[in-house]
Amino acid sequence: MAGGKASHRMVPTTGLVGLAVAENPHERLRILYTKILGVLQSIPKDAAYRKYTEQIVNERFDLVKKETDVKKLEDKLNSGQIEEVIVQAENELSLARKMIQWKPWEPLVEEPPSDQWRWPI
Amino acid sequence: PSVFPIIILETLFFSLATVRPKNEVEQKQLCAFGEYVAEILPKYIQQVQVTCYNELELLIHPDGIIPVLTFLRDHTNAQFKSLADLTAVDVPSRQYRFEIVYNLLSLRFNSRIRVKTYTDELTPVDSAVPVHKAANWYEREVWDMYGVFFANHPDLRRILTDYGFEGHPFRKDFPLSGYVEVRYDDEVKRVVAEPVELAQEFRKFDLNSPWEAFPAYRPAPETLKIEAGAKKEDTK
Repeated sequence: MAGGKASHRMVPTTGLVGLAVAENPHERLRILYTKILGVLQSIPKDAAYRKYTEQIVNERFDLVKKETDVKKLEDKLNSGQIEEVIVQAENELSLARKMIQWKPWEPLVEEPPSDQWRWPI
Repeated sequence: PSVFPIIILETLFFSLATVRPKNEVEQKQLCAFGEYVAEILPKYIQQVQVTCYNELELLIHPDGIIPVLTFLRDHTNAQFKSLADLTAVDVPSRQYRFEIVYNLLSLRFNSRIRVKTYTDELTPVDSAVPVHKAANWYEREVWDMYGVFFANHPDLRRILTDYGFEGHPFRKDFPLSGYVEVRYDDEVKRVVAEPVELAQEFRKFDLNSPWEAFPAYRPAPETLKIEAGAKKEDTK
């Protein structure tokens, strides 16, 4: 799959080791972004992580919905090849699921001792 | 009039001096990103600082190692996929003497970040190996040299010291010459370890200059407080 010519795009390979050319990247991105937004619903509305991630995902989702040509979409997203954008979305999805367990929006766990971060000693 | 040649001389001098120019734009960008991360992870981040050489540092609580490193690796605006370095610093005067330092690099955004935590001799710290495979040998080195135990490490054993070596060499209380020296003993026909014998006793030179080194970094003067003592009981 990575070596042969992909039918939908004029790109034979991504040029990156281990990253195959994605067929139907719009569909894959649509699924991933919808999943991320679904996972983010479980996070409290005032959490900064939810706010910023929803902003990023909605921006990218709108661009994916509007632009059908893959090369132009890559240029508009300005984040590397479309396969790399798919990897970024997968990472964001796994991160969102872990954030629900960790709950990092809560206040500070423990204050450090007063001399801990003083430099010079 | 006569001020002109002085001004020309001064500007010439300053343009020839090899002083690193201050990059205000990068400083602002790093400050903004530091505030962004601190806003998203207030549970673990205790302090954020940007050095004058434009290096961003996040100071976190040890419980937050895996959450913060995973966030920095996976979040779209961060993408610090590369663990460049993992070290420790020993400051014996502190309550938590070891400071664990992670240096991360983002290839997508061409920027670096430093994450620092703390621990003492006995408290274990979560291993970063589930997040970055590169942390494996670095954590073995920190264990060997400082004695910091990493929980959930796949294979935590010595990496640089000799097989039966006792002690953690990079600690500040470990002497420069060590405690043992090795030699081949012909009677027992093997290498033996014996307490170290120095030909000359260890000399420590006081290299402090009589003048104050950093006048801009003087500690704030301590104000003495008078605390109320125990009240005297009325004698009958």
